[in-house]
Amino acid sequence: MQKILLAVDRFSTWVGQAFSWLIVALTLFVSWEVFSRYVLGAPHAWAFDVMTMLYGTMFMMAGAYTLSKNGHVRGDVLYGFFKPRTQAAIDLTLYIVFFIPGVVALAWAGYNYASDSWVINEHSNITADGPPIYPFKTVIPLAGAVLLLQGFVEIIRCIICLRQGYWPSREQDVEEVDVGKLKEMVHVKDEDIAQLDQYVVRAPK
Amino acid sequence: MRKELWFGFSLMAILLAGCAFMLLQAASITTGHLGLLMLGLVVVAIMLGFPTAFTLMGMGMLFGWFAYQSVNPDLAVAQILDLMVQRTYAVMSNDVLIAIPLFVFMGYLVERANLIEKLFRSLHLTMARVPGSLAVATIITCAIFATATGIVGAVVTLMGLLAYPAMIKAGYNVKVGAGAITAGGCLGILIPPSVLLIVYGATAGVSVVQLYAGAFFPGIMLAGLYVGYIIVLAKLKPSLMPPLSEEGRRVALPSFAQRLSANGDRALTSLVRGLKGQRNADVPARTIAFQLGVTLLPALTIAVLLVLVFRTVTAPAVVQDVGGLQAMGFAGDAERFDQSSGGLAEPPPDEGTLQEPPVEPANAAQVAEEARIAADKALVQKTESEKAVADAAVRVDAPAAFWIALAICTALLLIFYLKFNFVRLEIFKMLLSSFFPLALLIIAVLGSIVFGLATPSEAAAAGALGGLLLAAAYGRLNYPVVRDSVFLTAKTSAMVCWLFVGASIFSASFALLGGQEIIEKWVTSLGLTPIEFLLLSQVIIFILGWPLEWTEIIVIFMPIFVPLLPQYGVDPLFFGLLVALNLQTAFLSPPVAMAAFYLKGVSPPHVSLNQIFAGMLPFMGIQVIAIFLLYVFPQIGLWLPSVLYGR
Repeated sequence: MQKILLAVDRFSTWVGQAFSWLIVALTLFVSWEVFSRYVLGAPHAWAFDVMTMLYGTMFMMAGAYTLSKNGHVRGDVLYGFFKPRTQAAIDLTLYIVFFIPGVVALAWAGYNYASDSWVINEHSNITADGPPIYPFKTVIPLAGAVLLLQGFVEIIRCIICLRQGYWPSREQDVEEVDVGKLKEMVHVKDEDIAQLDQYVVRAPK
Repeated sequence: MRKELWFGFSLMAILLAGCAFMLLQAASITTGHLGLLMLGLVVVAIMLGFPTAFTLMGMGMLFGWFAYQSVNPDLAVAQILDLMVQRTYAVMSNDVLIAIPLFVFMGYLVERANLIEKLFRSLHLTMARVPGSLAVATIITCAIFATATGIVGAVVTLMGLLAYPAMIKAGYNVKVGAGAITAGGCLGILIPPSVLLIVYGATAGVSVVQLYAGAFFPGIMLAGLYVGYIIVLAKLKPSLMPPLSEEGRRVALPSFAQRLSANGDRALTSLVRGLKGQRNADVPARTIAFQLGVTLLPALTIAVLLVLVFRTVTAPAVVQDVGGLQAMGFAGDAERFDQSSGGLAEPPPDEGTLQEPPVEPANAAQVAEEARIAADKALVQKTESEKAVADAAVRVDAPAAFWIALAICTALLLIFYLKFNFVRLEIFKMLLSSFFPLALLIIAVLGSIVFGLATPSEAAAAGALGGLLLAAAYGRLNYPVVRDSVFLTAKTSAMVCWLFVGASIFSASFALLGGQEIIEKWVTSLGLTPIEFLLLSQVIIFILGWPLEWTEIIVIFMPIFVPLLPQYGVDPLFFGLLVALNLQTAFLSPPVAMAAFYLKGVSPPHVSLNQIFAGMLPFMGIQVIAIFLLYVFPQIGLWLPSVLYGR
């Protein structure tokens, strides 16, 4: 079971990470466009559309990746104080009540939305001769599908946790505040911090 | 059961009881009451700890379906699906939110460029004579670094690793040091380019550019208040922050500087002497020339600036334009005069030759010749008048203010170079490689946004590119660094933007149910004055800051507050600044202050969480003072936007 869960995790992660490189493309593209507009005097009418497409595709496709790393923001007033079993029970209930209906609806609605767009061969109407927009709209059902898949994995995780009383493991990923890496970056060792303690103890209160 | 759980559950119980009371109290239950119920339930659901984006999405969908169902049951499903997908697409193609991933990317890159160590060291050496120098340097390092990165956790952790040991070893009070680090680390929330202001701008429909311009001075003011507090405290109670020891201040001089010091300690004269004299011992000329170049940088910068100012002041565009117009006028008159005598293409040409050129080719040639002469004459006159104008332009004198400024700058430079010894040269070089690049990046990004040269997203992209270059300059542009930054950017922006998707579905349902109207009616019936309303709303936001994160507060509650603002004549821009300042306070308010936990994670074991909280309290007090100042003098925030955009 754990193998399947981790495999799906890996799939969501792979998809999310693949699409996250769009941020580099977005950075370089916008920088180039600014340079081209102000220095070369050659603005491109489609630049705005491409910008939104890069941004929208990136964050939508990273949704499942973020979920698989438990990265979506949670209200953490009480959650952290619950026992794992209580956490799992709450999560399981709310996944079924809110997540599954919401994401299924989004993916389904997105599918219809995108297929309409394909049928009429829709182009962006921001400029006169806009780029095609149906691939961008297709991102909604795709992102919804991956998210739904990841959601099922999370539900199974909740059930496992309810049974065994502790959360099944996840794969490691880069963290925003990785204390170990930061220590390494500024050359601080644990011994240094421990040594510092003597100053704290000695200091008059 | 634990205290925290009791506290949380009783809060939830109060909320639910309030909802039940409201439903029972109402004469007839309308859909509007359902909207309020939804609002109460969503706070409860968020407090339970389920990912907020999906709580909002699911709840918005269910209640939105209720709203449509009460109107037309047959279409309800189709309508709610349409609403969801259109809301989602609106977030995907939102041109304000594009800036978020770009700024986040820039932040991660700058953080990983690893210049904070040098930045802190150079700043604290620069400030060595200021009372409480380490704490002051901490605040300034945090302000600059947090502004460029905007990541509270990383900044507090890094400063906890760098500045905290330095402060403790120097005999600083544990609490004061903790307060300076946590307070400084949170400055990035407020000082632009901050992600919070983008999210507020996108939610409330306020221009992000104006928000940035508005938040600039309040941010600087807050940092200034922190620094002022530390300096005053260090003066009053030196035992809390003893001055740095000689050892802590010493800067190791490179060998060339030690040898050249024989020529005198003053860097400029000594270097010049070393360059030409025989006393340069065995220091290579290239080293000396390079050091001289670095030494002369401030003078060169000021000279270039002054020349630029001089050129704009003495050759004002207006004067030249007027001159040009006059010249054109003269030339035009001359041409017209010549034309009437020469007879080329008079608009109603009676004897005009152009009408029948094939008949009289010779005549046409003659006319053309005359015309050429006339044009030449006109040209001569034109150049003469231009010359006159040019003479006049040169004669425009620079205003006295310029000469005064020149004198002051020269005097300052003189004093600067008199005091500029080799130790200071070393510090200056450190600043040059840590402080100035970062400051330049921030100023370039902010300046181009605020002065309207680029949209926030364009400036953010340029900033991210600058982050890449910065990382490259520090030799940290390798695959792992870029990869980590890219993945973290994707996760952070997915978190914020999916929350935005959920919240916009939610607020659409809330509006559909008519919850907004009920709230508006209720607030209006309270008969508050604008000041009371502002205070009440800020207190509510402050209290919400305990259980909820700033992202949640902005995307869920701003759509409720902002429509109320026009009733009380409150500027949404001003409200946004207050909210930003307020939510920043929430980062420092125990017991949920994230900054404290990050610092605790890297501090020595005997520093307790309570000590850190105690250290944060005075800074929280300063934030409340800052909010108060902004209330009393709104111009602190509104002056810059009003000057730049004529609000």
